[in-house]
Amino acid sequence: MDGGNIFLTLLEKVAPEGVPGWLLALTAAVVGIAILVGFVSVLVMFAVWLERKVSGHIQCRYGPMYAGGWHGWAQSVADGVKLLAKEDLIPLGSDKPLFVLAPALMLAAIFGALAAMPLSPSVYFTNLNLGLFAILAMSSMTTIGVVMAGWASNSKWALYGSMREAAQVVAYEIPFGISLLVPIMVIGTLNLGEASALQSGWYGMHWVMFQNPFVLPAFLLFFTAALAETKRAPFDLPESESELVAGFMTEYSGIRWSFFFLEEYAAMFLMSVVAAVFFLGGFESPLTHLARESFGRGSVVHELVAGLTLLVKAMFGIFLMMWLRWTLPRVRIDQVMGMGYKYLTPLALLCVLGAGIWEAIF
Amino acid sequence: MNATKTYFKNVWDSVATTLVGMRITGKYLLQKPITVQYPDERLPIPERYRGIHYLEQEKCIDCLACARACPIDCIEMDAVRHGKELEWISFTLDYQKCMFCELCVYPCPKDCIHMGTEFAFVTYDRSELKHDLLSFKGMAKEARIRMKEAEVKKKEKEAAKAAAAAEKGAAKPAESAQAPGSPDPEGQA
Repeated sequence: MDGGNIFLTLLEKVAPEGVPGWLLALTAAVVGIAILVGFVSVLVMFAVWLERKVSGHIQCRYGPMYAGGWHGWAQSVADGVKLLAKEDLIPLGSDKPLFVLAPALMLAAIFGALAAMPLSPSVYFTNLNLGLFAILAMSSMTTIGVVMAGWASNSKWALYGSMREAAQVVAYEIPFGISLLVPIMVIGTLNLGEASALQSGWYGMHWVMFQNPFVLPAFLLFFTAALAETKRAPFDLPESESELVAGFMTEYSGIRWSFFFLEEYAAMFLMSVVAAVFFLGGFESPLTHLARESFGRGSVVHELVAGLTLLVKAMFGIFLMMWLRWTLPRVRIDQVMGMGYKYLTPLALLCVLGAGIWEAIF
Repeated sequence: MNATKTYFKNVWDSVATTLVGMRITGKYLLQKPITVQYPDERLPIPERYRGIHYLEQEKCIDCLACARACPIDCIEMDAVRHGKELEWISFTLDYQKCMFCELCVYPCPKDCIHMGTEFAFVTYDRSELKHDLLSFKGMAKEARIRMKEAEVKKKEKEAAKAAAAAEKGAAKPAESAQAPGSPDPEGQA
């Protein structure tokens, strides 16, 4: 497939003769970025609200109830306005350029990774053959942002937090990548759109999950590693608000701090999308199958149903992460390391071996 | 062999216990919250809760028993007596000092000071914490009526007396009848 962008393709069809190609490309890129950032920001706002409601109800309380009227739906909007209006503090002893750059780098990395995500079978920002590889590479870059933030803050808490993040990511990047090898071996592509299309049999239930017995353990390993990658509890050692004030973001406030927050939830969304596409059938579900059968591939209804299916699956992944966060106690840093190196990595290798043998035989 | 067994048991345990925990939290997730939306709705407060005081002013006789019983002197009261009737000026309770010990309630001979169930009284200024428990200042309507009646009666009596004295054939000139009365009880209401 081409490495193009759906908006560029559309623009080339619509644009009059004589418009230079670079202008079209630039317009398409700007439109794509605007849509991606807007879409993800709204999603993150919803996820923050959901997190507060889920945590509240798990603890037998209500969570936000007033802002906006219905169950505090506008709480995230109010929070956002508050964060925008807050004073932009930069500590005197900090390394100012690094301090300012760190959240921006994290955001850029995570949005770069999200660019490989298809919104529906034919609406995508970039159609990369190495989509998953790009996602892995870009999302690992956020670690650099964390380390930068910790170092630039000139605070021991921040530095502890970022060192933990570095150690944790090094430990979990390995099982994270290896466990993703299992579904890749089963379907044989790194392109997210293609991977989803390859799971469309069995009335939309030909998910990777059901194709090979080694995919389920691989999914559990992947999910655990993804929790650690996104710094979510029980692996929130880089932040660990009960020991290090707020970890690497101790010195941040206002809009810069909200960038870290945005990054965390965007990363959660990204991981859930990857899990949905490579383990849980991506766009495919019986409903998508029905829409495809009755309206035809590429019809608006099919695209809409497919996109919504992926969104629902991703939201379910995010909900699962929240559920786990409010269920499990936090683990110590040595337990985190031990789990990564002693359990996840060998088990992931075992899964790859088993899945490989299974694929070779059947 | 034993180490391998322990290893896989650990893996199994971590998965199984996570699922158990998720079942428990999931149950709580679906349950109705036990908290209430505080300012809008409130949990029932025990009857004998020691909250803000309230005073049954009609019963109060300005005996100062509560003020004397108070270990930190936060009750101050002031009233003018007109015979039996009281003209209230103030009855303040300083909640900056009050420790809600309820010692002021027991000595009251008329059982007129009580502690209620209201506990929230946030203010913008410390001075607002000095509550005035009076529901009205000056004299009660009934007391005023009673006093007027008494005055009328007194005047009648005096008039009768004077008449009787005059009838007796007063040798001495009648003293100007000075009612030993009040310096205008209607002054403040």
